[in-house]
Amino acid sequence: MPHAKASHDRLMRPALFALVLLLAGGAVYTLADAQSVKEIIVGEVLPLSGPVASQGSQLRAGAEIAVEEINAEGGIKALGGARIKLVFGDSKSTPDGGMAETERLITAEKVAVLLGAYQSAVTFPATEVAERYKTPWLVNVAVKDEITERGFKYVFRDFNKASFDVKEIIAGNEIFAKETGKRPTTVALLYEGTDWGRSTAAFLKKFFPEAGYKIVLDESYPPNQADFSAQLLKIKAAKPDYLVGCLYTPDHIIFSKQMMEQKLDLPFGFMSVGAGSEDPVYYKAVPPQSVAYMFVQEDWDILAPKRPWYPGLNEKTKAKLGYDANAYVAAGYGTIFVIKDALERTKYDGDLAKYRTIIRDALAATDISTDKCQRIERKAGGQTYCPALIRGITRVKFDEQGQNTFSHGLISQNLNGRRTILAPMEFREPGAKPAWPVPRWADRK
Amino acid sequence: MLETLVPSFVTGLLLGGLYGAIAVGLSLIFGIIRVVNFAHGAFLMTAMYASYWLWALLGVDPYLSILFVGPAFFLLGYAAQHILIRPMFVRERALVVEPLGVLLLMAGFDLVLSNLALLFFRADYRSVTHPLGSATFPLFSMILSIPRSIVFVLAFVLTGGLSWLLTRTELGTAIRSVGQNREAAALCGVNVYRIYNVTFGLGTAALAIAGAAILPFYYVNPTMGSPLAVKSFMVVVLGGLGSVPGALVGGLVLGVVESVAGQFVPATAAAIFSFVLFVVVLFTRPRGLMGTLDV
Repeated sequence: MPHAKASHDRLMRPALFALVLLLAGGAVYTLADAQSVKEIIVGEVLPLSGPVASQGSQLRAGAEIAVEEINAEGGIKALGGARIKLVFGDSKSTPDGGMAETERLITAEKVAVLLGAYQSAVTFPATEVAERYKTPWLVNVAVKDEITERGFKYVFRDFNKASFDVKEIIAGNEIFAKETGKRPTTVALLYEGTDWGRSTAAFLKKFFPEAGYKIVLDESYPPNQADFSAQLLKIKAAKPDYLVGCLYTPDHIIFSKQMMEQKLDLPFGFMSVGAGSEDPVYYKAVPPQSVAYMFVQEDWDILAPKRPWYPGLNEKTKAKLGYDANAYVAAGYGTIFVIKDALERTKYDGDLAKYRTIIRDALAATDISTDKCQRIERKAGGQTYCPALIRGITRVKFDEQGQNTFSHGLISQNLNGRRTILAPMEFREPGAKPAWPVPRWADRK
Repeated sequence: MLETLVPSFVTGLLLGGLYGAIAVGLSLIFGIIRVVNFAHGAFLMTAMYASYWLWALLGVDPYLSILFVGPAFFLLGYAAQHILIRPMFVRERALVVEPLGVLLLMAGFDLVLSNLALLFFRADYRSVTHPLGSATFPLFSMILSIPRSIVFVLAFVLTGGLSWLLTRTELGTAIRSVGQNREAAALCGVNVYRIYNVTFGLGTAALAIAGAAILPFYYVNPTMGSPLAVKSFMVVVLGGLGSVPGALVGGLVLGVVESVAGQFVPATAAAIFSFVLFVVVLFTRPRGLMGTLDV
């Protein structure tokens, strides 16, 4: 009996100790959650490597700047000053990479909400993964319409749809046609062959004929081409009045250079639907004469440098990237504040799965405008501004499909070495007039 | 459509010259000594960054930088073979063919090089401003790019030089013997591992020279090598393993098919033509257009 008692004692002590620890730990755990959460994990799936990594790094820089500002100013007040922790998933510019990283961020990193992914080809399948895991996703850049047309509950977009882009291009042309009395009749399309190019082209082919244009060339190309000579020959042979192009940065660099070499004359110019033509890296890599008179469907208010908040954001962007802020830095920055606005309307009780749906509901109820921005408003240059509206839009409110119908862009033309806003009329720079038709290469200086 | 047939043929030849110039180094490494160099794209990228930084920091003309990057990348290729791949060959000594583990090793090396470039140079696309960068010359009714034409000529120069080396010199014979059967070559007194090193060095040097010549009209960024490397493998296999001129021919054929087919269908569909061609050639002539039978 002394033996049995001894062994019984030997086990009792550590077992009791472990039990006490367990109970104490459990108490601390539940107590901590009941009071406040230390940080909210926000994930972003972005192309941080691969052909469009330059834009991925721009979105990343914008998001990081926003999070640094939010955390420095006290974090999320409704959650007791919880900080935002940003984690990134590198989509490697591929849909598979995007989907894999989405899954990893949700299951391993335990993010509460996701953003991304720049490329429509990546965003489309990756958001489907998020929907399956009931994790909200705010699309910061990606225009394929179907991303918010699948009846999903967890996907939101604070950016243009491809259909918006095309409608803005046509509306811009109507304005120029009215003031000059001249208009193009034939259009050629050149677009990259993945989701972005194809979705935009689908709308170009739908809306342009309705507006009275004739499509004389429909040319898709596989991205990362080394040479556009074959396409330029086809464009020349089709003799279009006007060319619309969807090209990511590397292709845009090669295309613009070769278009200049071949002296391709387009009476009413070349309209570039963003991406490459909104990338400062592109403008550094091409000779200035190659972009003269080019139209761009801009994804943000390019007069931003005149706004009071711009110097602060621009300095921080320059420190991170070495060049000025652009539409994608702004998109990365503004959408983090949309998330903050939503988080300020939530409460966390420790159940992450439930919290993701709470955030989803908060996002769905978002209504931010220049007057209604109190939760996220900031000050700069003696003025108050609304960072969620940094792209120059007036409102963030999602429709039943999760699309911010108030998102819009601007049409610019590269005049005198500078992208000049020409449309819509209320945004046109004073005294600016379109060069329409566009001077032939032989007549340019 | 017909009036673009001849110009598209000509621009297809120029494009083919680009493919050939980049692939000729691989045809030596993969085609002759059968080392599956999946880091071909990363080596191209590294060489182009070298030329770029020589231009950006020291103002060296990319064409002039060839004098530096050529020998420098010979040494780099030599070292890569000696340090990375040789241990694998030594371990697989019993085999007379190259271990496929090299494939994975080089694929990993490719990842390391591109991510190092991403870390140090960021994702930005960089290009040089060169007086010849967008220079053109007229040929009948066509406007042709001067720097691309230089690469076209360079493709022939590199191919000719390497072919001469392989067929008219003792080093070349040694290289070819090692490619055929390294045990037998060793028995004939060839220092097999040194030959591997030298061949890898020569292939990488050829690639670096081509890269420097592309810089005036192209761009460089950490992952730009991959699409061109994929094309290079296609070109080498199409042209035939074991034949350096085959790589040039394969490149020219591929460039012409892409360009001419592209006149009749969108470029995304024209890409199908090149793959169909690839399959047809391999089906009817498995050794490639100009490959040798002892594959």
